[in-house]
Amino acid sequence: MKHTTALAGLLLASTTLSPAMAQENTDVTVVLAEEVDLVEPCMATRSNIGRIVLQNISETLTELDVRGDKGLMPRLAESWEMTGEGTWRFHLREGVTFSDGTAFDAEDVKHSFERAGSDQITCEISRYYEGIEITPTVVDAQTIDFATEPAQPILPLLMSLLTIVPSETPIEFTRDPIGTGPFILSEWNPGQDIKLTRRDDYWGEAPEVSGATYLFRSDAAVRAAMVQTGEADIAPSISATDATDPALDFAYPNSETTYLRIDQNVAPLGDKRVREALNLALDREAFIGTILAEGTQIATAITPPTTLGWNPDVKAWPYDPEKARDLLAEAAADGVPVDTTISLIGRTGNFPGATEVFEAIQAMLSDVGFNVELQMVEVAEHEQYYSKPYVEDRPILVGAQHDNSRGDPVFSMYFKYHSDGRQAGFSDPKVDELIEAATAATGDERSALWSELFAYLHDEVVADVLLFHMVGHARVSERVDFTPTIATNSSLQLSEIGFK
Amino acid sequence: MSSMLGKRAVSSFISLMVLIVLVFFLSRLTGDPAALYLPVDASEAMRDNFREIHGLNDPVLVQFTHYITDLVCFDFGDSLRKARPALEVVLDSFTWTLQLALITMALVSAAAIALGSLAAFHVGSWLDRLASGLSLIGASAPDFWIAIVGIVLFSVTLGWLPTSGTGTVWHWVLPIAVLFIRPFGLILQVVRGSMITALGSAYVKTARAKGVRNRPVIFVHTLRNAMLPVITVIGDQAAALLNGAVVVETIFGFPGVGKLMIDSILQRDFNVILAAIMVTALAIFLMNLLIDIAYALLDPRIRT
Repeated sequence: MKHTTALAGLLLASTTLSPAMAQENTDVTVVLAEEVDLVEPCMATRSNIGRIVLQNISETLTELDVRGDKGLMPRLAESWEMTGEGTWRFHLREGVTFSDGTAFDAEDVKHSFERAGSDQITCEISRYYEGIEITPTVVDAQTIDFATEPAQPILPLLMSLLTIVPSETPIEFTRDPIGTGPFILSEWNPGQDIKLTRRDDYWGEAPEVSGATYLFRSDAAVRAAMVQTGEADIAPSISATDATDPALDFAYPNSETTYLRIDQNVAPLGDKRVREALNLALDREAFIGTILAEGTQIATAITPPTTLGWNPDVKAWPYDPEKARDLLAEAAADGVPVDTTISLIGRTGNFPGATEVFEAIQAMLSDVGFNVELQMVEVAEHEQYYSKPYVEDRPILVGAQHDNSRGDPVFSMYFKYHSDGRQAGFSDPKVDELIEAATAATGDERSALWSELFAYLHDEVVADVLLFHMVGHARVSERVDFTPTIATNSSLQLSEIGFK
Repeated sequence: MSSMLGKRAVSSFISLMVLIVLVFFLSRLTGDPAALYLPVDASEAMRDNFREIHGLNDPVLVQFTHYITDLVCFDFGDSLRKARPALEVVLDSFTWTLQLALITMALVSAAAIALGSLAAFHVGSWLDRLASGLSLIGASAPDFWIAIVGIVLFSVTLGWLPTSGTGTVWHWVLPIAVLFIRPFGLILQVVRGSMITALGSAYVKTARAKGVRNRPVIFVHTLRNAMLPVITVIGDQAAALLNGAVVVETIFGFPGVGKLMIDSILQRDFNVILAAIMVTALAIFLMNLLIDIAYALLDPRIRT
């Protein structure tokens, strides 16, 4: 009896103490799935690094509004315009200082751009500027011109990815990032945690959050438990099976699209009827709310509906196993070797429930008469199938996920569908033309060209087996005010977090 | 004794050399770090540049020569992923693993030897049955399951312990408890079996016939003779822990060397893989040496 009272006392003490203590502090703790081993501004397009660096430590000239419909918003640039054929002029904000005290000016922008593109380091951001000749010219301290060749209509959007560092930053990966953002990197214990602290001399409005600690736990159940016990405030990614508490858990589109890439060079996949049959054989609805979370959307494009030019008129493939069998029979009658064993390549741990999803797909395809063998592989082996040069000794479907939350299809189309793209499964001159035309176009014309391309790929080429726009789950503690959105996959702005 | 230790050292050295060659070829022939490190849509020029910076464009044999010469100078280079010296990365996590392994093995050995001896002395008693039951559970329950149940019970429901991480002494309780269970069950059984055999031997009967009491029989006559197989098993279990307790490290977010190795293998971070293997291999080599010395101290016949 004595023991139980003591235990109950202990329990009471622990439950009453923690909320009282939590009320007073404005620090937040974020628990991430993957250890962040680099806090380098020019790597901020990598999602785990971006969640810490982007707009917290380092800022960009422009910022894409993914929460509302404001489009591209000013950040370190106050305004921008096209001054001549292919030249963009950015007017920079005045009175901005870096966390090391130096003033922000056009030289810093020029250096940041050149550093990101330098061949002495491998900055991920630079891949968005490949194939374009971009020459920055400093006009005065607050003005910079970017001449582009060929003319780059979306350069201001590309600038939402370029993190600005001081012009003194050496061209090697830094472990001490300096930025203009509202936070500084104050502590870093590799393998354990990363801490950010609010700056007093930030140019913009001071965030409510005074400091943030980032922890790393690879087990989703542990991340969920940490928010529940108050050890963490935000877990941006937990699994659907752990998202059981409606008061704490949010589902949000995570901008990942799941699909099967078809290599059309190997029979029988070169035959359009066979590709149609692949699409018709799958009961996509059956996955949602069962293996995959409620809220998962059926995909008709490789990018989510929030992307420019996404085509609402393209209709998802119906589930019609009868028609699939007919198409296969028709193809077989024409001598297409439809009974060849097709390898379906999946990646273990690609997303929660990946193995089950690919097993179900295999079963559905077999059901209409395909001869499918499933191979689940680890990431390095998966890459050998996913990118060119392809394995062409047998017909292959590669199950994969693609992430594009950047608002424009240009970040996906070239390398997924252009004849020279590293992951294109076919070559079609009309597709190439449309991609090139859309890439160079602006405004409504751009949007219309992308729409045409989406429809053409889905209905005419039957380029791939598009499956789902995925949903992620986040757990947020009751003391903080934060709603995850599609942007949560690539950034986590501490200034968007409030307290209740 | 020194000649025995010398022989052991030579054979360990040879296996280490074989390991070094295997690691190089297996890791390099099974995946391209450029493809894994860079995003999927990176261009061929970017990949090429990455390979050039990290010397991956050289012919494999040239790379192998560099690898061996660097190794001789104990220079493991930088981690591809973390942009800091690979050896530093590994030593950071190995320090955590070493602490975890030492504390766990000390507790396990003490508990298993005490309980195992008592069980052997009272074969068939409730204590014996309890010990056997415990060891059976310990040897058969999967540790990831025990870890999750432990978190749900002690952290989420009762709120006594933190779920995971490091920082206070309380953070160590759950990981050590989970790591404790399996070797405890195993060593307990070995101690019990070995003690029962020793207790039935002629020299114990003689001692008893001379009127020696229970306690000296256990601690002076029996335990020392029964310890040889026990030490072998303790060594095996400790080696497994020194290689990193991957499951426990993953679940509890413990920054040890096991998870580091798995991650660097998946990412083909060659320098870290190599440094991690060399450090753990050296640790296991030293531990085996300690075990050999312990053998020799316990059993004079081995010294020659």
